[in-house]
Amino acid sequence: MLAFIIRRVLQSVVVLLIVGLVAFSLFRFVGDPIDNLLGQERTIEDIERLRGELGLDQPFPVQYFNFLQGISQGNFGVSYRQGRPVADILVERLPATLELAAISALFAMILGVTLGVYTAIRRDGWLSNAIMTASLIGVSLPTFLIGILLIYVFAVELGWLPSFGRGETVQIGWWSTGLLTASGLKAIILPAITLGLYQMTLIMRLVRSEMLEVLRSDYVKFARARGLPQRSVYFRHALKNTLVPVITITGLQLGSIIAFAIITETVFQWPGVGLLFINSIQFVDIPVMASYLMLISVMFVVINLIVDLLYFAIDPRLSASRGGGH
Amino acid sequence: MKTQYLLAATALLVTAGAANAETFKWAAQTDPQTMDPHAVNSTPVLSFLNNVYEGLVRRGKDMAIEPALAESWEPLGGDGWRFNLRQGVTFHDGAQFDAEDVLFSYERASSEAADTSSWFAPVSEVRVVDDFTIDFMTNAPNPIFPDSIANFMIMDKGWAEANGVELPARDAENFATLNANGTGAFRLVERQPGLMTALEPFENWWGEPEHNIARAEFTPVQNAATAVAALLTGEVDMINPVPIQDVERVSERDGVEVIQGIEARVIMLGFAQKAETLQYGDDAGAPNPFRDARVRRAVAHAVNVDAILQTIMRGAAEPASQLVSPAMRGYTSGLADRPAFDPERARELLAEAGYEDGFSFGLKCPNDRYLNDEEVCQAVVSMLAQIGLEAELDAMPVRNYWPELREDNFDMYLLGWSPGTFDAEHPVRFLVATPNEEKRLGSWNFGDFSNARVDALLPMIQSEIDDAARQAMLDEVARIVRDEVAYVTLYVQPLLWGVRDGVELTQRPDNFFILRWVTVNQ
Repeated sequence: MLAFIIRRVLQSVVVLLIVGLVAFSLFRFVGDPIDNLLGQERTIEDIERLRGELGLDQPFPVQYFNFLQGISQGNFGVSYRQGRPVADILVERLPATLELAAISALFAMILGVTLGVYTAIRRDGWLSNAIMTASLIGVSLPTFLIGILLIYVFAVELGWLPSFGRGETVQIGWWSTGLLTASGLKAIILPAITLGLYQMTLIMRLVRSEMLEVLRSDYVKFARARGLPQRSVYFRHALKNTLVPVITITGLQLGSIIAFAIITETVFQWPGVGLLFINSIQFVDIPVMASYLMLISVMFVVINLIVDLLYFAIDPRLSASRGGGH
Repeated sequence: MKTQYLLAATALLVTAGAANAETFKWAAQTDPQTMDPHAVNSTPVLSFLNNVYEGLVRRGKDMAIEPALAESWEPLGGDGWRFNLRQGVTFHDGAQFDAEDVLFSYERASSEAADTSSWFAPVSEVRVVDDFTIDFMTNAPNPIFPDSIANFMIMDKGWAEANGVELPARDAENFATLNANGTGAFRLVERQPGLMTALEPFENWWGEPEHNIARAEFTPVQNAATAVAALLTGEVDMINPVPIQDVERVSERDGVEVIQGIEARVIMLGFAQKAETLQYGDDAGAPNPFRDARVRRAVAHAVNVDAILQTIMRGAAEPASQLVSPAMRGYTSGLADRPAFDPERARELLAEAGYEDGFSFGLKCPNDRYLNDEEVCQAVVSMLAQIGLEAELDAMPVRNYWPELREDNFDMYLLGWSPGTFDAEHPVRFLVATPNEEKRLGSWNFGDFSNARVDALLPMIQSEIDDAARQAMLDEVARIVRDEVAYVTLYVQPLLWGVRDGVELTQRPDNFFILRWVTVNQ
């Protein structure tokens, strides 16, 4: 087990280094930050001087090496746009993204599993069919359109929920949370639905098809034959056995929820790292872009590692085969 | 005694105002990058900080300069300008304002680390005469110097030294990035970069407040549709800009209105005028027809600006005949009409120049810099096709655009120019003068237009004290620019602000939003 973890961590480091290298090789195609840093009255001389100061006249492998050197000393560089340390900015912005991702994942899980089970049990009910049809919207509409539609209906027309921002936040140490104030809770509803809708429909469809399969299996038939109550058959026996793939998929999706938050955050002006990333692309804020990409890669790597470890925990067959002397 | 009495009266007025004062919330697309008035020379920063810091002079509602921290100023013959400073002004932290602060701010704003240093290129020396008199000496007579430093904001020397911010920081964080201490009508009470920035009125401001704001909160909202929604729901009281395609929808809605004005920015087409050959399209490598003024004039006649304004700008903009709009100082009123839309004449001009069969070339265009810039370029492409010119359009984000222009990768390009000094001399210096790195001339003249007479007139314009003589020279330059078709000017970009009913404000052509002119009714 330990050897497995060590091997995976080493692999992850290689992956991170490659991600960084690819990112740096692409930055020059994103554009030139110089024009954003200097006013319209700049001269060519000013441009060259600043380029030298920022090290932008170096070839990209050298820039990358300098970036890595900074990171190894715990220094993520200084944002071109804000003139502040990138680490400070990321710490400020990360709680917003993580809270949004967590609430979205929770929403997707709870509703996805519930609706999945329901549509599997009442396979031909009109409500099930309606839910299945509606779920097509979730998979087919792009995120930004869903966001704008929700804003239009619930903020502009009905006036129930705020159209942008995070509401009031409470500071707990370095973590700022919007989950402890009424306005913060109201503000998270629409973005969380927007972000989680796709995952929700995905989970729902997965649970439904797994359920349908399990319900056809012999042990369910036997359970029914034994006269067990329907409830117990559905939830204790059938659902439990559908959850293994669901947990795997959900875990892997958590990474993409955080990554996809970019679009949702832009639509709702949600002050997380995704919005920060979009802003830094527009400004060609290389230190922020590089640090964000590294951060997201680390998250993906960690989540994958945890999912791999969960396999051992959840699926008894894996432990059994391990116990069998491999 | 008298001053104290006055102060007490002002205090009373302020409290009276506070009784029905309001929290005012506004949103714009970009967050000011810094709270340091000398670190970044950009509209979002200078516009925002104009509420917090003040200059020696400031611009009024009509863009004319008026006294601020200087009560008056006069030329010292041709050697410079003397500013008589206002007495009894305090900074937000309570420190007294005097000439030492001006000298300190000059040194800070003209340092190499500052982005505002170009404003002080004509200055040779700054002398403190006494506590409330200061002289700015210039290399040559400079009639528009007071105009050109309207955004030069004064920082307290003691505060800067106490917090270690004697110089603006570009690649490190310093105290002035997040904090401010000016003399303006509002003081900075909260700064969360990218989230929210809050201002509250400064009780000891020297001026008479016209506003009734108790607290003002600024939020950057990047997505235009979200900003419109926030205005419609009443979560914000004002947004800038309203996307052109939403203007009609917002205007029709109860409770909100669109305030429309003309910005100082002129949108124009530029040409590669020195390049020997074309670089793009089917005729790449062929001799460059844009070296011929007749071909450039043909383009001017072929573009139907009225149609662009009606369809793409939805009637919100005005045609531009010169490099500056009529609101600017030094505008040539004798040349108010742009070349008429006349494809027939355009074809004749092309034939005269030997291009009756037309030719193909490349048009470079930004797609996120000016209002509907890419659509405008598409329209230009189809209009030029009518006279047989086949333009290959390449539109890109502005972060890629300027590097392309600097490397001369264009045959024709789109450019917008807003004169920082609000004077007709500004575009001549940056867009028309022959590029000369040493003299800091023509740094945005990508197409290398060059005219000896303009180059000779520019230094004379810059040092001419007599207004009539100066205007005569500016008129001559404007005529040369038109006759030589240095640029094909298209239109003046509109300002479109969305405002909740009951909010009264003033829209200035420089797109600055001045809080002390805002009143909010319930």
